[in-house]
Amino acid sequence: MASHTSSAPPPAADKNAGPGADRRAGLLHRLDVRGAPYAFVVPFFAVFAAFSFYPLVYTAWISLHDVDLATMDIMEWVAFDNYTDLLTDERFWNALLNTVTIGVFSTVPQLLMALGLAHLLNYRLRGSTFFRVAALTPYATSVGAAALVFTMLFERDFGMINWALGAVGFGEIDWENHKWAAQLAISSIVIWRWTGYNALLYLAAMQAIPRDRFEAAAIDGASRWQQFLKVTIPGIRPTIVFTIVLSTIGATQLFGEPLIFGQGPNGISGGADNQYQTLGLLLYEEGWKFYHMGRAATVAWVMFMLLIIVFVLQRLLSRWRSARTS
Amino acid sequence: MTTETLRAPRLETPPGGRRGPRLPVRIRAGRQHHAGPVAYILLGIATLASLFPLYWTMVAASTDNTRVTQSPPPFLPGPNLFENLGKAWTDAAMGRAMINSMIVAGAIATSTVLFATLAGFAFAKLRFKGRNVLLMLVIGTMMVPPQLAVVPLFMMMTELGWGQKLPAVIFPTLVSAVGVFFMRQYLSDALPDELVEAGRVDGAHSLRIFWSIVLPVARPAMAVLFMITFVHAWNDFFWPYIVLDMTNPTVPVALTQLSAGYVRDQSVIMAGALLGTLPLLVMFVVFGRRIVGGIMQGAVKG
Amino acid sequence: MKKTRKLMRTRGAAVVSVVTALGLLTACGGESGGTGGGTKDGKTTITMGLFGVMGIKESGILDEYQKQHPNVIIKADIAGDEQTYYTALQTHMTANSGLKDIQGIEIGRAKELLDTRADRFVDLSKLPGTDHFLPWKQSQVTGKDGKVIGVGTDTGPLAVCYRKDYFEQAGLPTDREAVAELWAGDWKKYVEVGKQFKAGYKGGKVAYMDASSGLFNAMIYGDSQQFYDKSGELIYQDNPTITGAWDLASEAAASGLSAKLRQFQAGWDPGLANGTFATAVCPAWMLAHISEKAGPKNSGKWDVAKAPKGASWGGSFLGVMEKSPVKEEAKKLVAWLTAPEQQARIFESLGNFPSSQEALTAPEVVNMKSEYFSGAPIGQIFAAAAEDMPKEQVLGPKDGTIKDIFSQALSLIESSGKSADEAWQTAGERIDKAVG
Repeated sequence: MASHTSSAPPPAADKNAGPGADRRAGLLHRLDVRGAPYAFVVPFFAVFAAFSFYPLVYTAWISLHDVDLATMDIMEWVAFDNYTDLLTDERFWNALLNTVTIGVFSTVPQLLMALGLAHLLNYRLRGSTFFRVAALTPYATSVGAAALVFTMLFERDFGMINWALGAVGFGEIDWENHKWAAQLAISSIVIWRWTGYNALLYLAAMQAIPRDRFEAAAIDGASRWQQFLKVTIPGIRPTIVFTIVLSTIGATQLFGEPLIFGQGPNGISGGADNQYQTLGLLLYEEGWKFYHMGRAATVAWVMFMLLIIVFVLQRLLSRWRSARTS
Repeated sequence: MTTETLRAPRLETPPGGRRGPRLPVRIRAGRQHHAGPVAYILLGIATLASLFPLYWTMVAASTDNTRVTQSPPPFLPGPNLFENLGKAWTDAAMGRAMINSMIVAGAIATSTVLFATLAGFAFAKLRFKGRNVLLMLVIGTMMVPPQLAVVPLFMMMTELGWGQKLPAVIFPTLVSAVGVFFMRQYLSDALPDELVEAGRVDGAHSLRIFWSIVLPVARPAMAVLFMITFVHAWNDFFWPYIVLDMTNPTVPVALTQLSAGYVRDQSVIMAGALLGTLPLLVMFVVFGRRIVGGIMQGAVKG
Repeated sequence: MKKTRKLMRTRGAAVVSVVTALGLLTACGGESGGTGGGTKDGKTTITMGLFGVMGIKESGILDEYQKQHPNVIIKADIAGDEQTYYTALQTHMTANSGLKDIQGIEIGRAKELLDTRADRFVDLSKLPGTDHFLPWKQSQVTGKDGKVIGVGTDTGPLAVCYRKDYFEQAGLPTDREAVAELWAGDWKKYVEVGKQFKAGYKGGKVAYMDASSGLFNAMIYGDSQQFYDKSGELIYQDNPTITGAWDLASEAAASGLSAKLRQFQAGWDPGLANGTFATAVCPAWMLAHISEKAGPKNSGKWDVAKAPKGASWGGSFLGVMEKSPVKEEAKKLVAWLTAPEQQARIFESLGNFPSSQEALTAPEVVNMKSEYFSGAPIGQIFAAAAEDMPKEQVLGPKDGTIKDIFSQALSLIESSGKSADEAWQTAGERIDKAVG
């Protein structure tokens, strides 16, 4: 077993080798102390620079050009034409609006339900691990599989949901072709996959709230509901903010669910009438269906800038709020 | 000093966790409200909602195309499960996809854990110029959406001759900012400064300190990070969908192509969905408790 | 001691997993580099990328070729939907990787591939044993310099497939001659019959046709010019063939005659299996789809009647890729697969109509009857329809894309309640995007 030698500190051997070696070891030691931290963080930054930062800048450059997928080495300078084209394109505003509405439909109920579920899981339960793992199972299901199953459940002619609606006397709904129905169906996939995950985040935060706060509230005569509102919610506020940020980022990038929901060509265009085309799909359609890489890059940058604007606004808003209260 | 005492207690005590100290849990639980029947009913509904789509995937995968598209839909499994799984495995390239996804997710999770632990250790315990700035930079990179990189990445990969090949998917995701942050947070708590100092006094160089002192302490967190990264890599969609296709897909890519008319037999499609989810489900059943604990840990920290 | 062992395990595990990961990486890097074809240990592997039901694999002739040539292994990868297939093919062409040795080419894509990707294909103009095709078939894949990028598989003469049992319940004739008589000469009559069907059928949820896009395609391919003229200009807006087909198809769409399905997409097959529509405009190659997806339980319920007018919808080619390491073997294979005898056999087993002049006159083709379609003499019906086909087709680079845009626009009317004018305008905008 070679491990014996490797677990003992071998530098001891170096120390006994003489004064020259000692100095060299000292130099090496200093070099090591100074340099090692950088060596440890360099892999992260190297990969990030090569595969995220450089492409990010290059995306901006491409967005100022006309580039065809078939002839990617030929780039024709068009300045800001792609941007003006995009901003005057109805499809862009449609996709932006769809991204926002699907984002709201999927995020708001998801987080509310997660809150309720976390509250339930926070009771003293028999089989709590089972309930927790069960709640997390959808998170283990890939976007692909989840979207395929839901697409079938929402199928117009033979889907289970329309069958159930028919059984209780409602008419069939053309989930894919009706705008709001389609957006709700897509949102339900997102809700299903992420509710349990968020619930566990809330649960962890709830369990970190000191019990005496509840007791104090109870002594003040607060009902359980009031305790929930006055103690639990403020207690997990940072986590709520965190999940809102995460879900918002996720919502702006929504891509796989609507793509699969449309089953083929309709997926890329987000429905025959673009009724559920998100910005992510628009990017893909421009780049890999119409082969206009420059326009696809433009969509990407506009998405990024929108995200930045949203966060700056949010910061300003919270600063303004805290300034007003103080 | 054994490694046991070096372990941070935090990951050991997810509420309800197996190895958690028994007594404190019971005391705290004693102060929690007991769940009433209403709570159990609501939880039952939530569990049903979580599990039903998966159950129905299995049902649909076990019938045939005619049966699954009839009204009323089937609720009980049929006899064709293995036949459909076989068809999905070969005709729908799910076999290839599963192997590819294993490679991709395994490689990404391994390298993410390795690099995140290295960087997390440096950020948590080593002093160097620009540490805080660099840490802010790491957090800032989380803001960059993957969409922003796909166009040039696609061109890059095409030029490198990596189109439709797995390295094109693996390399851009070899590291993760979330992972670095996660390990930093964990190691700042779990790794006592004295231990690193002691290693220094013994004259161990940084890499040796990392191997013999940091790694044992970091192991529980590394395991959790590995599993979570594996899940994310297995399910990653946008970039693989752009750069790969049916000739050499990962699981999500193959599943999308299934829906896009590549195979039109619904029960085979569902069999594919089942196959693609199976490895992660197994992982969740086996390690569910640890993953739950890990996610909850990350929540309190993040 | 305990510590040592623990350390070992962690380190060992880390090293092992890194090494395995790297090993696997290099392994898979090498594997997917070429076309997947090649010669090894005296055995030649040829890979094929196909779509839809081209009949090559389904009819069993691939197996037979392998039996005759024990040293050849053929791997055929078949995508169900041509649009999905073509998007991937385009990316492969761009990257020049991921291509198979042999690739199928649909006619709507022929022009674009010829104009932009001819260099990726092997020239088949001097391929021996390929002088038996209908002259116009091969000219569709011949470049200005005389390069031929594919050999023809089938053509798409049209008929109408219909459910006899539904026609009977709707009080319409069921005999194929009488049915053909109902709409002889004019697609407008086909829509009129649909209105009668809708009024007469009381048996529940059965639509007259699967999708109005089928009708649209049938009508436009009755003429030799569709979206482009010979000089390559887009003319669809003023081409009476297109506007006329649009008017009728959008009328049919708006009057609820269709089951609102999307052909070749997910809901279409269950529609066939559950019998949710009574007719489908069927090019010869669609018979195989119908019999396979409607399944044995519907055998004998379907029949085939002559279409109102002749048209040629679809038809495909096989091309050999320049990148293939087994070009010669692949060339031999495509020549054999498209030879008259094999074309006749595919027609016999599936219905895909030959593009070989010799096969067209073969007695087994002319006398062919389909048991599945109530014993319809499909040999005669499609041979007669082929007589009626336009003998030339003007192709344009984005034919396939524009056809798909129109299909989508018609579904806007069927399913999203748009007016015909709105849908036409939307189609126009999308075509501008796609070509511009």
